[in-house]
Amino acid sequence: MVNKPSNFAMLEALQHGMRNDPHMTMLYEYQRPVAAGPLGNVIDLYKEFGDLRIPDWGPIDEEWHVGGAAGIAMTGVRAIARVPSMCVTRCFELVFNQVGKLRHMTGGQVNMPLVIWQDAAGRNPGMAGQHADAGQEALYASIPGIKVVVPSNPYDAKGLLAAALQENDPVIIFHYPAIDGNPTDVPDDNYVVPIGEAAIRQEGTDLTIVGYGPAAVEIKRALPGLEEAGISAEVIDPRTVKPMPIDPIIESVRKTNRLLVVDHGHETLGSAAEIIARVAIAVPGAIFARSTIPYAPPPGAREIFARMTPVAPKVVEAAKHMVA
Amino acid sequence: MPEFNETGPEKKGVSRRSFLQFAGVAATATAVVSSARVAMAGNGWTIGLEGVPDERALWMYRTMLRSRWWEEEMKEAFLAGKDGLYGAFHISIGEEACSAGVMAALNEDDYIASNHRGHSHLIAKGGDLSKMSAELFFKDSGYNKGFGGSMHITDVSKGILGMNGIIGPQYLFAAGAAYSAKVRGTKQVAVAFGGDGSVNNGWYYSGLRNAALYKLPMIAVVENNGYQMSMPQQRTNNLINLHQFGAGLDIAHESVNGMDVMAVYAVAKRAVERARNESLPTLIEAKTYRYYDHSGLAGAKPGVMGAFGLPYRSDAEVRAWIAEDPIPKLRRQLVANSILTEEKADEIEAEVRKEVTESIEFARSSAAPDAQAGLQHVFAGSSVSPSQFIA
Repeated sequence: MVNKPSNFAMLEALQHGMRNDPHMTMLYEYQRPVAAGPLGNVIDLYKEFGDLRIPDWGPIDEEWHVGGAAGIAMTGVRAIARVPSMCVTRCFELVFNQVGKLRHMTGGQVNMPLVIWQDAAGRNPGMAGQHADAGQEALYASIPGIKVVVPSNPYDAKGLLAAALQENDPVIIFHYPAIDGNPTDVPDDNYVVPIGEAAIRQEGTDLTIVGYGPAAVEIKRALPGLEEAGISAEVIDPRTVKPMPIDPIIESVRKTNRLLVVDHGHETLGSAAEIIARVAIAVPGAIFARSTIPYAPPPGAREIFARMTPVAPKVVEAAKHMVA
Repeated sequence: MPEFNETGPEKKGVSRRSFLQFAGVAATATAVVSSARVAMAGNGWTIGLEGVPDERALWMYRTMLRSRWWEEEMKEAFLAGKDGLYGAFHISIGEEACSAGVMAALNEDDYIASNHRGHSHLIAKGGDLSKMSAELFFKDSGYNKGFGGSMHITDVSKGILGMNGIIGPQYLFAAGAAYSAKVRGTKQVAVAFGGDGSVNNGWYYSGLRNAALYKLPMIAVVENNGYQMSMPQQRTNNLINLHQFGAGLDIAHESVNGMDVMAVYAVAKRAVERARNESLPTLIEAKTYRYYDHSGLAGAKPGVMGAFGLPYRSDAEVRAWIAEDPIPKLRRQLVANSILTEEKADEIEAEVRKEVTESIEFARSSAAPDAQAGLQHVFAGSSVSPSQFIA
């Protein structure tokens, strides 16, 4: 096993899926599904699967990619819509009123084997609000009928996409570039990371720290600082935002009595709010805190931007505050 | 052809009169004009029965009647009130020729994606009247187990990708279904049905433009009934003859008299052949009319076909369109060509009415859904968790 970039790892999962399902189709805009692995090996899905199942030509039209893929999926053919980062909410209405509701509104008739691969944004200075905003998975997770997963490393990225490709319900996978800052070994063979299953990254007794995606990367970076401060942190990565695997988090907080949720999304009505609410109902008297992006869009200037992100030193700071 | 409302809302641009006149001209121009049978003009026919097998013509007749009487009887049930019917009810009466004419050109495994005014589409595509009735009664035996109601009836097993309460997605879904057919190499065709209001929506453009780009076996049928809800069509779009939109996309596009089922069938047949044989899309505009209000039963009375006294259109306009009704028109054609006798025509109608009555009885006697069922069908094969204190 070797470290692989997350994009390569995900294309491995997709390649496996498309080799085993002769009709699986992906609609996308400009990210031709080509990636180089660590040993110089190249995956080029367009070359392998051709013009129709991977049309490497098409419009800037995210509503088509998602709506057209939904139409493909309704006929029983598995479809993937890959959406670029600045447009992750462009298809929101389709997901909200169609993709998420059709099974329920039709009394269970409509299968929707649809995966929406959201190439989520990096929180990059210099890009400003539209190209650097993150945390939209919380918007989608609020919609009934949608499953939402957010991997925090290349291993989970491949395994969660492979799991999504087996579902008969719509799954949105948010692929943040930041997770390549958390390199992992990725097996060549196909494997599944089950949707709805959290990972306990570290066991501890003083407090529970929860975060997924880019936030989980920052939590991992904070571990040496926490250790230095003498804090025994239990670290949980839910990996799935919906259905949220809340039970292991509740169990952990029953032990530690303290919960810090780190979220790269916005504070108001974000994932941190949901996780804390669920745990608060289950564990009365526990102590709660959250470290999130403030309720403001990300600014372009580096100096302002740096102050607004829950990076590792701030995780340590928050943990110290809670344990003190 | 009937005349348009000359006393209605203020006109912008082209008057209703010229709109309708054009409809007649366009339908005549695009029809496969044939000789003798068409010469029985004066009946509003724009095309005859040449090349149409008798059983197909009879199917269209029965299909239009099934749709007409099902909606009429359902209207009566709503008005009578004793069943306590509630929820959305968008009547398509007047537009049956569009459904029957298009569906007569399709195969059973072809797809349709419909809209809120889709009862007639579903019935023509083989929808089960009893399951439809039961869905309007929100019963467990309904198509959607009472989860959908009138606006969302779906039968995936018959290629019916569903009616839809939101304007526009049917164009994306039909294009997607056509894409799927192309990937699988099945030669299936996918048809989207929408109204003149739906063309003002970005998904219409997206669906058609991508069908053109990827050369998809997709057909868009725009049933231009002259009103986007209560807004006259010419006040919603600079285009009056909506099929012309296809010129900008460089796809085949035709206008047809939507009150003449044979004319619709002829145009649909060309479009289906184009889709199946050449994998190319077509935009069809059918000029038609809904006799009732946009939604619900304003202006409707028991035993009277059509809604009158509505503020946005004149009663004279409604009556003029009813005079063009496609069902008696086809009946006259069938009788004149000795495909039907008057007696046989009456017999078919009686059979249809019996089927409709039985479907409503089925709905009436069916069980209500389990009140606990709402947590089902969110995802396949499992229920979602109840929320705190609820469900």
